Amino acid sequence: MTNQYQGNDMIVAKNIDKYYPNGCHALKAVSATINRGEVVVVIGPSGSGKSTFLRTLNQLETITTGEIIVDGINMYASSTNINKLREEVGMVFQNFNLFPHMNVLENVMLAPMKVSKRKREDVEPLARKILCKVGLEARIDNYPSQLSGGQMQRVAIARALAMEPDVMLFDEPTSALDPEMVGEVLEVMKQLASDGMTMVVVTHEMGFAREVADRVLFMEDGQLLVDDTPESFFDNPSHPRLASFLSQVL
Amino acid sequence: MVKTSNNLLWYSILFAILLGLGYSIILASQSIQYTWRWERIVPYLINTEPKPILSPYDGTVTVSANADAIMVSSDDGESAFEVKVFSQLEVEDGDQVFEGDVIASLSEWRLGPIANGLLMTLKISIVSLFFAVVIGLFVGLARISSNPILKHLSMLYVELVRGTPLLVQIFIFYFFIGTVLELDRFTAGAAALSVFAAAYVAEIIRSGIQSVPVGQMEAARSLGMTYVQAMVYIILPQAFKRTLPPMAGQFITLIKDSSLVSVISITDLTKAGREVVSGTFAPFEVWFTVALLYLLLTGSLSWLVNKLEKRMASSD
Ligand SMILES: Nc1ncnc2c1ncn2[C@@H]1O[C@H](COP(=O)(O)OP(=O)(O)OP(=O)(O)O)[C@@H](O)[C@H]1O
Ligand SMILES: [Mg+2]
Repeated sequence: MTNQYQGNDMIVAKNIDKYYPNGCHALKAVSATINRGEVVVVIGPSGSGKSTFLRTLNQLETITTGEIIVDGINMYASSTNINKLREEVGMVFQNFNLFPHMNVLENVMLAPMKVSKRKREDVEPLARKILCKVGLEARIDNYPSQLSGGQMQRVAIARALAMEPDVMLFDEPTSALDPEMVGEVLEVMKQLASDGMTMVVVTHEMGFAREVADRVLFMEDGQLLVDDTPESFFDNPSHPRLASFLSQVL
Repeated sequence: MVKTSNNLLWYSILFAILLGLGYSIILASQSIQYTWRWERIVPYLINTEPKPILSPYDGTVTVSANADAIMVSSDDGESAFEVKVFSQLEVEDGDQVFEGDVIASLSEWRLGPIANGLLMTLKISIVSLFFAVVIGLFVGLARISSNPILKHLSMLYVELVRGTPLLVQIFIFYFFIGTVLELDRFTAGAAALSVFAAAYVAEIIRSGIQSVPVGQMEAARSLGMTYVQAMVYIILPQAFKRTLPPMAGQFITLIKDSSLVSVISITDLTKAGREVVSGTFAPFEVWFTVALLYLLLTGSLSWLVNKLEKRMASSD
């Protein structure tokens, strides 16, 4: 599925605005670039538009105005096949959204087989390898209802990885977890980052942001206010809103 | 301990009530001097009466040596009629027979009119059920589609069908649509039933699909699946499990509603019952039998769905 595009910018969002049908102005002139191999963490108060921003990047939400370019392809060009584009962009949800009627292995193998039309005998070794990497090789026959939250989220990560995407989006992947399970999921994400995966992560885990992120974005009220390195983001907040936000959460 | 003895008490009361109900039926029939003749029903269910085999023309009988074949040679010597399958020989070797004489009889089991009616009810129910599910699936999907044409057409369909009596719809299908499209009775009846049940099936499927969390569709689409793939692999299998109980209820209703097609002279179980009543003068027995047979159909369907539900429940 690899594209001919060789540029360093994996995702470019130019001046995007998003109005929900009910009139809510969720994104206001947001521009950002995600480079290949970069881990970008998005932080901000509840309702600031973090999820909306993330979901526009694989078009789970459409934008009202602006431009989004993924891997050199303009998402809203009439020639763009959004399903093909989504194969390049994996997503992990807060509530896992595993398919409850399939076991772990089937969850991971479904998309490569049905979407990429690959043969079962090619997909299964890959799926097993990825499940091994997230530490769930012993659970392949289990159904999601038989797993803990942390295990479910790791399966969800494996499911997205099985499509061999170029970039992974995470929307608060640890927010629905019991505290003792947060670590195992963050560990998998750190591993992924060190393997060079391009990642956009919405999270409240400041420790993860500081330790793993290449850049941290701060959103408030639909606006992208800060785009900075983690050191200066946390130690010398460049915006008064960010400073007051950090003083509340840290 | 208290609990079990209480239960025992309740069950004995229940038993007494049922016994009383049964006895009251007997009393009621006695009060109108009704004599039950259940044996009259039997030939209308299964006919064991020997079927006579008639000679097709005047001729002479030849019976083979071990009596396993009969041959009638016609008097004009031009044709011969041979019978090999029979159970009772009614003539002897060398007999002269005339056209229409009984030469042998064959005792076999044949279905009586009530059994045939049962088969017709089963057939029209299965056919209607199949089309109801197919039409209902499309209408249900159209109901939740974002396309205004599909959405409003399907809403109109559901409202029209649910707002008019089935009996009237059967008449419309038979007299209007049936005449225009030259449909036979069975097709018209099955079409009316399918279209009627499909409206309810559509609503069941719609609510089943909507009961699947939206995150499932989002997860499927984020993996690159098309809308159709997400429906087929992710949403519908989950919706199906949730729709099974209301769907079973709808199928049972369909079987019972199929009795209404007897108004357009389809000889289903109900129509057969009506015909047999006029032949036997045993209305109570006939209608009790008919009711029991409907119960048999609906009961086995419930049982089947129950088993399916248990199997699907154990898969997760
Ligand atoms: N489907 C929707 N329809 C209408 N308004 C919406 C919808 N989803 C989100 N919003 C609104 O858009 C704004 C941004 O919401 P969003 O979910 O992107 O925030 P968030 O930063 O992810 O918040 P949280 O931290 O609570 O997840 C909010 O004001 C929210 O009420
Ligand atoms: Mg959110």
